[in-house]
Amino acid sequence: MNRVAFFAILLLAAQLPSAPVASATEQGAPSSRVLRQGKNIYKQSCAGCHKWHGDGGGGYGGAALSLRTTHLDQDQIMEVVRCGRPGTGMPQHTPKAYEEKCYGISIDDPDIEFPMKANTMLSPDEMAAVSAYVTNILQGKGTPSLTDCEDYWGPASHNCRDYRSGSSSDRTSNTPKEDH
Amino acid sequence: MSDFVQDNIWRKQMRSTRLAAMFAVLIAAGLAPALADEKIVTGERLVNADKEPGNWLTHHKNYQAHRYSSLSEITSANVKKLKVAWTMALGGIEGGGMWSHGGLEATPLAEDGYLYVTDGWGSVYKIGTHGGKPKLIWKMDPKTDRDWAGAVTCCGVDNRGAALWQNLVISHVIDGRLIATKKDTGEVSWIAELADPEKGETITAAPLIVKDMAITGVAGGEFGIRGWVAATDLKTGKQLWRTYTVPAKGEPGSESWKDDYNAAATGGGPTWVTGSYDAATNTIFWGTGNPGPDWDHEYRPGDNLFTNSTLALDADTGKLKWYFQHTPNDPFDYDSVAERVLIDLPDSGKKMMVLADRNGFAYALDRDQGKFMWATPFVNRVSWTKGIDPKTGKPLEYDPQKSIQPYLGAPSRTNLIGTACPGNMGGKNWPPTSYNPNLHLLYIPVIESCNQLTVTPTKPGSHKAKEFFTGGGPKQHERITGSIVALDVTSGKIAKKVELPFPMLGGILATPDLIFSGHPDGKLSAYDAKTLEELWSFETGSGVNAPPITFSVDGKQYIAVAVGLGGAWPKWFMDSTPELKNIQPGSVLYAFALGD
Repeated sequence: MNRVAFFAILLLAAQLPSAPVASATEQGAPSSRVLRQGKNIYKQSCAGCHKWHGDGGGGYGGAALSLRTTHLDQDQIMEVVRCGRPGTGMPQHTPKAYEEKCYGISIDDPDIEFPMKANTMLSPDEMAAVSAYVTNILQGKGTPSLTDCEDYWGPASHNCRDYRSGSSSDRTSNTPKEDH
Repeated sequence: MSDFVQDNIWRKQMRSTRLAAMFAVLIAAGLAPALADEKIVTGERLVNADKEPGNWLTHHKNYQAHRYSSLSEITSANVKKLKVAWTMALGGIEGGGMWSHGGLEATPLAEDGYLYVTDGWGSVYKIGTHGGKPKLIWKMDPKTDRDWAGAVTCCGVDNRGAALWQNLVISHVIDGRLIATKKDTGEVSWIAELADPEKGETITAAPLIVKDMAITGVAGGEFGIRGWVAATDLKTGKQLWRTYTVPAKGEPGSESWKDDYNAAATGGGPTWVTGSYDAATNTIFWGTGNPGPDWDHEYRPGDNLFTNSTLALDADTGKLKWYFQHTPNDPFDYDSVAERVLIDLPDSGKKMMVLADRNGFAYALDRDQGKFMWATPFVNRVSWTKGIDPKTGKPLEYDPQKSIQPYLGAPSRTNLIGTACPGNMGGKNWPPTSYNPNLHLLYIPVIESCNQLTVTPTKPGSHKAKEFFTGGGPKQHERITGSIVALDVTSGKIAKKVELPFPMLGGILATPDLIFSGHPDGKLSAYDAKTLEELWSFETGSGVNAPPITFSVDGKQYIAVAVGLGGAWPKWFMDSTPELKNIQPGSVLYAFALGD
């Protein structure tokens, strides 16, 4: 499969989510319990690459995309969590995601570089929770602020010193912005 | 057990501007003369550490970094009788920052039957081992702000061990502190701040005590730091010298940074593995790490001195005597931080300095002048160069007239994805080698790997404090394995090699006719020193990520090793060793002795 066809499938897949779990958008506004659960999962499984602020960037986990500027909806994000992103460092969080269904890709396709499997797999509820955290807390929030920082690390965290002194006004100049 | 470090005490002592006040405390408490019946650790004892075979007084066992013990109760003939003598659960398993858990990478120290071991967050444990039973004498908990330091460390919650000086235990904390703890009581005498996590600086290496100084290296090559080696006067607490590994504008070496936007300011060159010391010439040998950003070497045209280099430093002044750069203008993350092993060959009289570099080659240099002697590939696959020039010691592709070096398979701004063997964890990472001076064999714990490297072009001015500054990232596309190499340093040839299913992440101990090493799947093994045949093993039930030591107490020889998989592997490289996903975090000190 050539790259154009592959990304066309990805685009189509993004428009037609195929996650086997209940659609996140049908569940209404997430509860604070779900968001707390999502934050805990995000800390453990996502923040190493996407960073605490979700804006991504380089690092030992590869060049992670920005979740603050993503245009994916919650179901699409959940599918990316479930299936990972072929050809990138974004891992799949369901053991047999491609045996089930991901982006319309066949598990037998020899041209696909399937994503690695995450160290910690996630249940459908956990994937829904972390996707809810991304869409409600990170997505569309612009440049990270002191409030964002203290919400993540806690009100007295040393990690937010720069924000208190106002020296972190432009964080995103080295961050990839595209979604797929 | 008692915990003497109170939060309010160290927080008051956190600011370096208050060092003067701290050292009033030091004079009052820490430097009080040792009790008459207490042995103190002097510079003379450290220089002659091998004359105390039952002890392990300094990080690499001796100043030459041999990690060789002459204890010979446990031999190839009886090692099959080795049994667990005792275990002790330690702490430090908590997560923080971007890390879900801590691990153990420490080399324990041993003195007269007492062990001193650190956990990843910097707690120091003094453990009595007399009578064949472990007893926790004290624990010094530095109350590390785990989210703070854990947010700016690339490669795990790491602390590789403590040091002994006079009547104090000297240790680092990942958040940049140097702490002196009373050896008898566990009370903190003083604290100094050396590295600043606000700049992306952390400390993971054990201190090296030279005379009355603590020598410190810094980590942070993935966060755009400017590396350094520093000496702290343990009598006064004052910094004696700090030598930067990346020169300032106008200083020698600055001509090797050819950009016009001061790439050197975030040029890396960390120093995160403990060096060695030649008392005869008063020279400290220390390795430097990768330039930053790691993979976008077009951001930093030039050789990028003194990154990826061997530095020979005057111990009293920190001044550079000579250097040798191993991988100029590195696009692979090939830190040259490995411990420098000092070897005198009795027949030829050669005084060598040998290291197993992350770039896959073992190097020998004349240690008085830094002259290249030989280099030998010790990994199965080297793809980034056709070899090392036997005259210059530089990679064959190296052209001093070029600003961007044309290494094979390197990622670049026009070819964003490259492939390199060894992969970016290198042929040998921090886990230490050992050297048997009778067999003239250097034992190398090898990672057999290739990985893919992606460049993200870096824009001038884009560096942000406390953010990764790597110019891209690695990706694992195939399985990674390991091996142990026995290298004959008299010839520079590989004498023996044994292939292993997992990368070597824990380092090697050598004894007269054995070597010992742990494995990330939990196995601890003993091998014949000549044939590398595995003679004994034990399943610890967790991952071994730390070097074994040996010591004696009550006339009996023990092997000790800290067990608990941490470091970079579980987070960044696990997909290349999928079976290790089943390894759970742990924190246990094991001791082994011969059974009946």
